[in-house]
Amino acid sequence: MSNGHTSRNADRVDKNASGAINHDSAIGHVSGQSIYIDDMPRQHNELLVDYFGSPLPRGRIKSLDLEAARAVSGVVALFTYKDLHHNKFGPILQDEVLLVEDIAEFIGQPIVVIAAENHAAIKACKAAIKLEMEALDPLLNIDDAIKAGAYIDREYMIERGDVEAAMAECSHVIEGRLYMAGADHFYLESQACLVYPGEYGQLVVHSSTQAPSEVQHVVAHLLGLSISQVVCIVKRMGGGFGGKECQATHPAVMAALVALRTGRPARLVMNKDDDMMYTGKRHPFQNDYKVGFDDSGRVQALSARLYADGGAYNDLSTAVLGRALTHIDNAYFLPNVKVLGRIAKTNFPPNTAFRGFGGPQGVLTIECIMEEIAAYLKKDPFSVRRANCYGIEERNTTHYGQLLEKNTLPELFDKLRLSADYDKRMAAVKSFNESSQTHLKGLSLTAVKFGISFTNKFLNQANALVNVYLDGSIQVSTGATEMGQGVNTNIKIIVADEFAIDPHQVIVMATSTEKNNNTSATAASSATDLNGSAAQIACRAIKGRLQKVAADYFATQETGVGAYPERIVFAGGEVFDERKPHRRLTFKEIVNMAYRERVSLGERGHYATPSISFDWSVGKGTPFLYYTNGVAVSEVCIDRFTGALKVERVDILMDIGKSINEGLNRGQIAGAFAQGLGWLTMEDLRYAPNGALLSHSPTTYKIPGIYDLPSDFKIDLLENENTVNVRGSKAVGEPPLLLGISVWTAVKHALSFVSGDAIPVLNTPASGEEILERLTAYCQSPASDAKQRSRWGGDGSILLRGQSFAHGESRTSPVRAASVAAKKQ
Amino acid sequence: MRDKVVLFINGQRHTVGAADVFQPLTDYLRSARSLCGTKVVCAEGDCGACTVLVGRAGACEMEYVPVNGCIQYLYQLDGCHVITVEALAPTLSYGSHDELKAALNPAQLAMVENNGAQCGYCTPGFVMSLSALSYCRSACPAGGSGSESCSPEKDVVRDALTGNLCRCTGYEAIVKAGVASLHGSFKPLTELFDEAGIFAELSALDQEEVSVAAGKRQFYLPTTVEKLSRFLDANEAVLVSGGTDLSVNMNKRGFSPVAIVSTARLKGLATIEVMESNDAAGSAGSGKILAIGARVSLAQLEAYMQNLCPQFYKILWVFGSPQIRHAGTLAGNIANGSPIADSLPFLMLMQAEVEASSFRGVRRIKMSDFYLGYKKLALAKDEVITRIFLPLPCQQEKIRLYKVSRREHLDISAFTAAISVTLGGDGKIAAARVVFGGVAATVLKMKEVEDFLQGKPDELDTYRQAGLVAIENLRPLTDVRGSREFRLQLAANIFSKFYFETR
Repeated sequence: MSNGHTSRNADRVDKNASGAINHDSAIGHVSGQSIYIDDMPRQHNELLVDYFGSPLPRGRIKSLDLEAARAVSGVVALFTYKDLHHNKFGPILQDEVLLVEDIAEFIGQPIVVIAAENHAAIKACKAAIKLEMEALDPLLNIDDAIKAGAYIDREYMIERGDVEAAMAECSHVIEGRLYMAGADHFYLESQACLVYPGEYGQLVVHSSTQAPSEVQHVVAHLLGLSISQVVCIVKRMGGGFGGKECQATHPAVMAALVALRTGRPARLVMNKDDDMMYTGKRHPFQNDYKVGFDDSGRVQALSARLYADGGAYNDLSTAVLGRALTHIDNAYFLPNVKVLGRIAKTNFPPNTAFRGFGGPQGVLTIECIMEEIAAYLKKDPFSVRRANCYGIEERNTTHYGQLLEKNTLPELFDKLRLSADYDKRMAAVKSFNESSQTHLKGLSLTAVKFGISFTNKFLNQANALVNVYLDGSIQVSTGATEMGQGVNTNIKIIVADEFAIDPHQVIVMATSTEKNNNTSATAASSATDLNGSAAQIACRAIKGRLQKVAADYFATQETGVGAYPERIVFAGGEVFDERKPHRRLTFKEIVNMAYRERVSLGERGHYATPSISFDWSVGKGTPFLYYTNGVAVSEVCIDRFTGALKVERVDILMDIGKSINEGLNRGQIAGAFAQGLGWLTMEDLRYAPNGALLSHSPTTYKIPGIYDLPSDFKIDLLENENTVNVRGSKAVGEPPLLLGISVWTAVKHALSFVSGDAIPVLNTPASGEEILERLTAYCQSPASDAKQRSRWGGDGSILLRGQSFAHGESRTSPVRAASVAAKKQ
Repeated sequence: MRDKVVLFINGQRHTVGAADVFQPLTDYLRSARSLCGTKVVCAEGDCGACTVLVGRAGACEMEYVPVNGCIQYLYQLDGCHVITVEALAPTLSYGSHDELKAALNPAQLAMVENNGAQCGYCTPGFVMSLSALSYCRSACPAGGSGSESCSPEKDVVRDALTGNLCRCTGYEAIVKAGVASLHGSFKPLTELFDEAGIFAELSALDQEEVSVAAGKRQFYLPTTVEKLSRFLDANEAVLVSGGTDLSVNMNKRGFSPVAIVSTARLKGLATIEVMESNDAAGSAGSGKILAIGARVSLAQLEAYMQNLCPQFYKILWVFGSPQIRHAGTLAGNIANGSPIADSLPFLMLMQAEVEASSFRGVRRIKMSDFYLGYKKLALAKDEVITRIFLPLPCQQEKIRLYKVSRREHLDISAFTAAISVTLGGDGKIAAARVVFGGVAATVLKMKEVEDFLQGKPDELDTYRQAGLVAIENLRPLTDVRGSREFRLQLAANIFSKFYFETR
């Protein structure tokens, strides 16, 4: 504190012990006092809202008779598209229809909004709706959409070098197709909202959403209100994971429609089954790739064509596809690349944001390729990955032209190899597999390099409102929404540390569009980056004014000091001139002094991420402010007879900059990893042949339970300061999800011990069933003779999403293209 | 006869009658009592967000177990004390941060300090399950994962939490919190509630019959088998034991039985007794037979089996979750009759018998004769299962039980198997018994394989061939839990697995 030079540095903050505080809602959570939408007390006159949706994946409404439904006792009102001012919306393309007008595009697409006094009335009402539809042929997988030419948006491409020429020079080429399934968000609190009608058409919408401004905008637009007539408030969500970025709007509009038209409070809380059946998921992708490489396994050329299953409408698919295209390099330098991407239109609920946002679908592809190159060359997969890793001085520009600054990937690879004892364990796995007749082990180290920033430039802004009160307590409001990740706690710490006060003096208020307008969704891992920065800017403005007041005051108290605001220091809850540190004011005293001097004690900060841009017309730019990097090693053990998978040990090492709160960040890492593991090993969306989701509750859709994470689970952090971001931190929400890929590649690695000369094939999820099918094929187990040729479950009674079961012949032949290893002639 | 259900919630006495008893506890807590800390996510006992403690008057004090509130209907809770998250500690609604923290119980505090809560929606359920480790004597036998575990405390915690799903944390912080809470000192329940008073009142209630009618619907809680049987005879009634399946059907499949009759108050059926066999069990087993009362919960059975029959214990350990096992009974699992019921292959393998009682008398039915078709039982309309006679395996027989499911815990099987092999003096297979589940409309005794194995050498090739014999006539279905081919391959492979595991 005595160093005059550093004291003038506005970046200096007093750390207190605030970095170790716990989640700001933790006490409420453990005592059951935290309030979610469904916990808000019933209002006088409140109506329940639900909807009646399409029974068909694609069909034309021939007639809709609501007379009997309206007559049901307890039914108050029914609404159709005719009651909306607009019916089309969408965050990127305005192609989505909320209430079916003519043709329904997915099962459960809302047709009639029901407002009733109780659940029994809603049930009876649904039964009384008379709907006649003409069934139209649906598109239920990517191949069919391609055949039909059914796409959403245009083709996107990123290209560098001359892929064809480079491929022709390669001594080895592998071609393959990787199909990856979707996943349900499985936030525990399903979609929910409660709308209060106000005067003159004004509405207050309490929503469980990551995007209050989006809810506000869509409600206003579809109901014909001005945006200013709608306030959207988010206290918290019981989980979001991307699923409440765009798709919280649908229930909000329906409840708002009821509130506006009936003048009564209206609440729509989806049950888990409906939520799972009728809302969008992680995008399934079908990726075709061709990769050329040298004897060391170094990639010379990659050509890939990505198809995202967009579902019925675009939603965020364009951006999701964009992130897949920009992340197909992951940690690896690809000198010659051509990646193309398209969005297939299918008759499922529109797929939407899900933690990772296309990144995992791009990264899984290249990590799969790395594993295949290693299997093909019979090399250690680590050496292949390390040979391809982005360099520090050279080989350090991405395929879209962004230079990797302060590249920590080589260091991460090398450190984890040692700390996780990779070489010794790899040798142990090999000898285990040679001797064990009952189990098969696999070991894999994969990486993540995740670009941080919204790829849409305009979203990279935030505003924050900081109000200081006369007792020295502070309220902060930002556009960030709390879904458990701890953004409110981070912002609380940032604000408290700016003023060097106890963090418990700072309350982060419920997010409201009344206080923060035109905000971006809490997404892209960037809520703390953007909103924390905005809050910091607001704090610094207030602090500057307080420094002036303090300087003037100290100048009157000490002769010869003069008023030098830049010499005023905030530390330990006090304010003083660093030259005369014995004379101090408490934070409360300086706040009161400022008030009496008629100095403003509130401020709105605005932050815009500097120096980012991207141009899709050429596929080039610098879309990311920085990258969050990490590596993980997973060891798996497979039961050769049942295919049962056990993850035995996981070691994670991440570069997440300097943590604002390390405990919260570790929680993000463990939780995201578990979600990645779930997506790739156990979560299985199974559909009926008509496209209806069969696994629509936790009874059949299995997310990881407490025994599915290894008890040997280490998380380490690299010491690093990210100078371009608030407090030297890095975003952490999404990147660790992609480390779950190491579990899947470990399974693929295990299979390489039984696949002989063939490169092992593995699709997602690597469930016991998928693994046993592969083992059976490779090991010629007793029952394999007749069934070898057929895809398990291919009898048509269950639809494996994205697979081509719709056409006679392909039902009995393998539909998952094997990776074909073709040596160049 | 009482026409209202009486229960205590967080120390407060409540009387509920008529239509109100036909609702899940969670609806009642959240709507009628404004206790919204208990969350509902799946409404089918598969996530644990609704976990509460339910106490019943035991021999000398209240005895509590953790259960899923979403699948406990109020009619099941007559004479119970329900404890919800709101009452775990005399929690302050406001105060300084330190004061608020000081009011928490050790499980709550550990969850706060270890960042075990993120979004918070699953948290009350986790806190209840962790608190159950302190408040429930029979909460969960520890360390089911067996011998290799190097962290027994972690296993105690994980075993207690297999019925709670969290989507945010990856469980790492929760396990840490759980281990920390094992060392905390929980206030005894007597400090939180008037336990003696509640015990006295509920003990008295436990002697009474209850019958509640609401419109056409009726609930009956008799105190004797005879009364229960006569009610079954006179009504199209559904029996409820733990309700872990019935309540799911009511919540999710629109099942709305007109009359429900409960076994909860039948006396003398909550114990497990060891009997010596003379003839009834035939050739199977050790000569010892367990007589398992119909009120014995799966959790009681699990604890009982831990040392007595480790193979069956391992199956019970992965059966549902602690919440399910504390509510559900073996009798219920048998009566529900699902072909993928986890307990059935072993019962069938051991040639267990079901005691069926009615006002007309008592008879025994062999498990092999008990299922007539998919969920079709050999019980007469007026009969109720009162006991299960389970012969225990003898030392010489090699027994393995298998459950294959997508997730090890809290999952419904895709395939189950029970295999018993006894070697003769010549080293050849003297006797073999094989039972499969998940491959047909009922649990199947695999007669052809048994015959095939008999007299064959105890070597890998025998078991490989047994697999081929086994699948010859199997026609399993493809469903959401697995394909036909998957089930066939499992059926074929399981014998080889058995071979290696019994070396």
